[in-house]
Amino acid sequence: MSGVSIDHLISIVVLFFAVLLFIGLFNQTLSSAVNYQRNTSTAKACGDLLDTMLLTPGIPTAGTPIAFGLQDTALTQYQLDPFSVMRLDSSLAAPISYQKTGLTYSNITASPHNYLLYPYTDMINYSTALTLLGINGTYGFQLSLIPTVNIFIAQVSASPLSLSLNVIGTGFPLAYAKVNCLLIPVLLNTNYPDFETIAHQTETNETNSVGSTSITFSNFYPNPNLTYAVVAYAYLDGITGIGYYEPSPVGNQSIVPFLDPLSTQNVTLAHSDDVPNTSTSANTLYYNTTFILESQNYAIQETSLGSSNPSGSVTSGPGNPPTSISMGSYTPGILVIAYDNSGNSGVVMMPWGFSSLGFSMIFGGTPLNHGWVATDLRQVQINGVSYQVKLSLWSEKGYQESG
Amino acid sequence: MMRTVEVLLVIILLGAAYVATSSFIALPSPSTVSPVDLNQLAYTTLQELDSRYDLSSAAFQTNNLTAWGDLQIALAASLPANMVYNLTVYNVNTASNGAPLYSSVASISNAANLASTDASSYLEASSNVTYISTPQQISTNGVPITLYILDCSDTAGWWITGYTPSSLAQTVYSLLSPYFKTTVMVQNTNQLNQLLNGKPIEGESLKNAIIVNTNGEAVPIPSQFNSTNPLGFNSTYNSYSKYDYTLGKLTQFYNWTWVSIVGYPFYYVTNTGFLNNVQNGFGIYGISKSGNVATQDTGAPGLYAFLEGLDNQPYVYNTNSIAGTPQTGSTVYLSNQAQSLCNYYGLYPSYYQTSTRALPTSITGTYHLAVTTYLFNTTFGQPPQSTYNPGAVYRHLSGTNYEGGFLALGMTRIPDIRLTALGILCDYQPARYGSLYTAAGSNRLVVLQLGTVGGR
Repeated sequence: MSGVSIDHLISIVVLFFAVLLFIGLFNQTLSSAVNYQRNTSTAKACGDLLDTMLLTPGIPTAGTPIAFGLQDTALTQYQLDPFSVMRLDSSLAAPISYQKTGLTYSNITASPHNYLLYPYTDMINYSTALTLLGINGTYGFQLSLIPTVNIFIAQVSASPLSLSLNVIGTGFPLAYAKVNCLLIPVLLNTNYPDFETIAHQTETNETNSVGSTSITFSNFYPNPNLTYAVVAYAYLDGITGIGYYEPSPVGNQSIVPFLDPLSTQNVTLAHSDDVPNTSTSANTLYYNTTFILESQNYAIQETSLGSSNPSGSVTSGPGNPPTSISMGSYTPGILVIAYDNSGNSGVVMMPWGFSSLGFSMIFGGTPLNHGWVATDLRQVQINGVSYQVKLSLWSEKGYQESG
Repeated sequence: MMRTVEVLLVIILLGAAYVATSSFIALPSPSTVSPVDLNQLAYTTLQELDSRYDLSSAAFQTNNLTAWGDLQIALAASLPANMVYNLTVYNVNTASNGAPLYSSVASISNAANLASTDASSYLEASSNVTYISTPQQISTNGVPITLYILDCSDTAGWWITGYTPSSLAQTVYSLLSPYFKTTVMVQNTNQLNQLLNGKPIEGESLKNAIIVNTNGEAVPIPSQFNSTNPLGFNSTYNSYSKYDYTLGKLTQFYNWTWVSIVGYPFYYVTNTGFLNNVQNGFGIYGISKSGNVATQDTGAPGLYAFLEGLDNQPYVYNTNSIAGTPQTGSTVYLSNQAQSLCNYYGLYPSYYQTSTRALPTSITGTYHLAVTTYLFNTTFGQPPQSTYNPGAVYRHLSGTNYEGGFLALGMTRIPDIRLTALGILCDYQPARYGSLYTAAGSNRLVVLQLGTVGGR
C-alpha cells in the first residue's frame, strides 16, 4: 500500500515539474513568435511612414502644418520641397543662441563657414511631427537625409587657381561624371568687398575612372586682396551632387547668417563676436552679398540678391543691432556673403533651400536603447540634388526582441 | 511503479510535442523580419536615374557602350555599398493573341547570382509616346545672340508690385535661358554702364542682344549718367530723359531689342545710389520720373526720347502722354499667333489682360517702326479716335534692314512675366527639336533587381 502511495506521490511531483518546464518552453516559443510578429509590423509601418512623409505635400513656409510631409507638389513623387526640409529641427549639431535676437537656432552647419541656422520658434519639432503623423506614444523615429553624391574640393595651386575635385557616391566614386564649376572672385581692397566678374568664370570638366578631376581658372590668381568661393555640380545619369569650397578665412571675426522665419524671406547677419553673447567691444565688418542659382541644364549662374541693401556693415557690441537682408523670393540657391575689415576677411555661404549646398540632416529621436529598430531607405531629389532618405522606426510600447 | 512509467510516458509525449512544435515554428532571421524595402528602393532608384531621361535614352541605346557604362556607374554610386543589383532591359512586343511578349535586350549586374532579392520595374516609352524636346538657340544671321537680364541690385522697381526686380529676373532666366547660348544677369548699374560702353561682361557678343528690364516702368541708370553727363541728363529741362535718348541710340547701334515688361516704358529712371535723395512722387526713393527731376511732374519724355534715339532723330523734350487705355474696359486679348504658340512653348498666361499703357499705332510712322509681332490684338482707344497696340514687338526700319527693336507690354500692374517670355519667343520663334529614339519597339521594360550582400 505504501509502495503505491509513494509511486503516486513521485509521479505527481515529476508530472508537476515536467508541466512547469514545458509551459516555460512553449511560452518562450510563443513569445518569440509574437515579438517577431510585432517587429514585422514595425518594419511594415516603417515603409508606410516613410512613404507618407515623402509623398505628402510639403510643410508650408509659415504656420503649423496640418500634416507632416516633405513632397514638392510642383514635381513628381519622391521629389522633396527644399524649404519644407529647412523647417525641420535637426539634431546633427548643438543649437546656437544669439542674444541680440533672443532666439535659439537649430544648427545644420556643415563646416565652420557654411551655415544653416534656423530659429526654433518656427521649426517643426519632433513632438509635433509625431502628433501630425498620428504615432505619438506608439512609435518613435529618426529621419536622415544624406546626399547621394559628395564633392570634396581642395585648392592645389594659387598661380593660377587650380582645384582638385573628388566626386564620391554612396557606393562608389562617380566616374566619368560631368562637373560644372563656378568661381566667385571677391575683391577685398575696396570699401566693401566686391564680387568681380571675370572671363571664363565657369569651367566644365569630367571626372576620371576614380571620380577625380582638376579644374584650373587660368586667369585668376588669388592673393591677400583677392579671395574667392567655388561651387561645383557633378552629375551623371540623373545622379546629381553639389560641392563648395572657400579658402580659410583671415582673422577671428566673421559674419554669421541667421535665418529668420521662412515666411519673412529675411536673413539676419550677425557679427561672430556677438554669438552667442553680445560682445563688449564694437568691431565692424563690411560685407557684400550675391546669390547663386542653378538652372535645369546644370548651369550655375551668379545673380544679384535683389535686396535693397546687398552690401553694408555689421558691428558687434551693445547698441549695434544686426543687419537684415531680404532674399526676395523662394527660388532656391546659395547666399554668398563676403566680409572684410581690420585684418578679418573671408567668404561665408548659406543655402537658401535645404539642398543648395548639399547639407545633411538628421531629424527626430535617437534609436539607442529602443530594442528593435526597423529601417527603410528611398532615393529622392531635392531641387535636383540627389539624396538618400533613411527612416529608423521603433516601437514605444516597451516590447522588444526576446532571447 | 506503473504511475511513474505513465508520467514518464506523458513527459516523453510533451517533449515530442515541443520538438514537433519548434520544428514547425521556424522563426525567421532578423533581416527577414525587418528588411529594407528593396522593391521601393529599386523603384526610387529607377525614378532618379530617369529624372533627366538618361535611363530612357540608355534603354533604347543598348549598343551604346558609353551610355551603358555611365548608367552602371550611376547605379553603383547611388546604391549602398552592400547592395547587389541586376538591371535588365526587356523589349515589349505583342503576340498574335494580344499578349505582351518580353524579350531580354541587355543587362548589367555586379553579382553572378541574385538568389534572394526584390525587384521593381519601370516602363520606358520611345518617341512614339514620349516627347523630349531641345530648344533651338535663338540667333540672328546664324550667330547666337545674348540675353541680358537687368537684375541690378542698386535699383528699385515700379509697377512690379509684389515682386522684386531680382525675383522677376530669376523667373525670366528660368523661362528663357534654355533658348540662348549666353544669358547674362546684369547685377548692378556698373555692369550696365560697362555694357553701354560696348564692353562685354563675360566675353559675350553684344550685337543683336535682347535686354530685359525687370524694373517695370523704371529703367536702371548708372551713376556715370548723372546730372553732370550730357549723355544722361538734359540740364535745360532738368531731365534724365537724355539717358533714355542715349539708350535708344545704343539700341539702334547694336541692334538690341529692349524689353519693357509692364506699364509705361521709360517713365522713370532708378538708381538707389546717386538718386537716393530723389523720390518719384509716391515716396519711393531712388526713383525719378524721366521729366523734370525737381518737380517730378511727368515721366512721359522718357519714351519719346528713347524712340527719337532709336530713329536717330534729334532729342526733343516732350511732356505729352503718349500711352493710352484701350476701350472695352481696358481688356485686351492675345493675338491668334500668340495663343497658338502658347501650346508650343508651354506658356499659358490668361488670354485676356488689362492694359492701360498701350502705345498708339501712330508711332510706327513717326519713328519708322515696323511691328514684327503682335502679342495682343490691336484695339481702339478711349475715345476711339486712334488705335493702340497693347503689346507688340517693334523693329526700327533703316531702309529694308532692322536696326534696333522694342518689345513694349502696356499692361497694368501686376506684371505677368510669362507675357515677356511669350513675346520674345513669338518674335524669334525658336524651334523645339524632339529627340528621337531609334528603337523598333515603342516600349521597353527596365527591371532593377536588388539584393543585399550576405542574403536578406
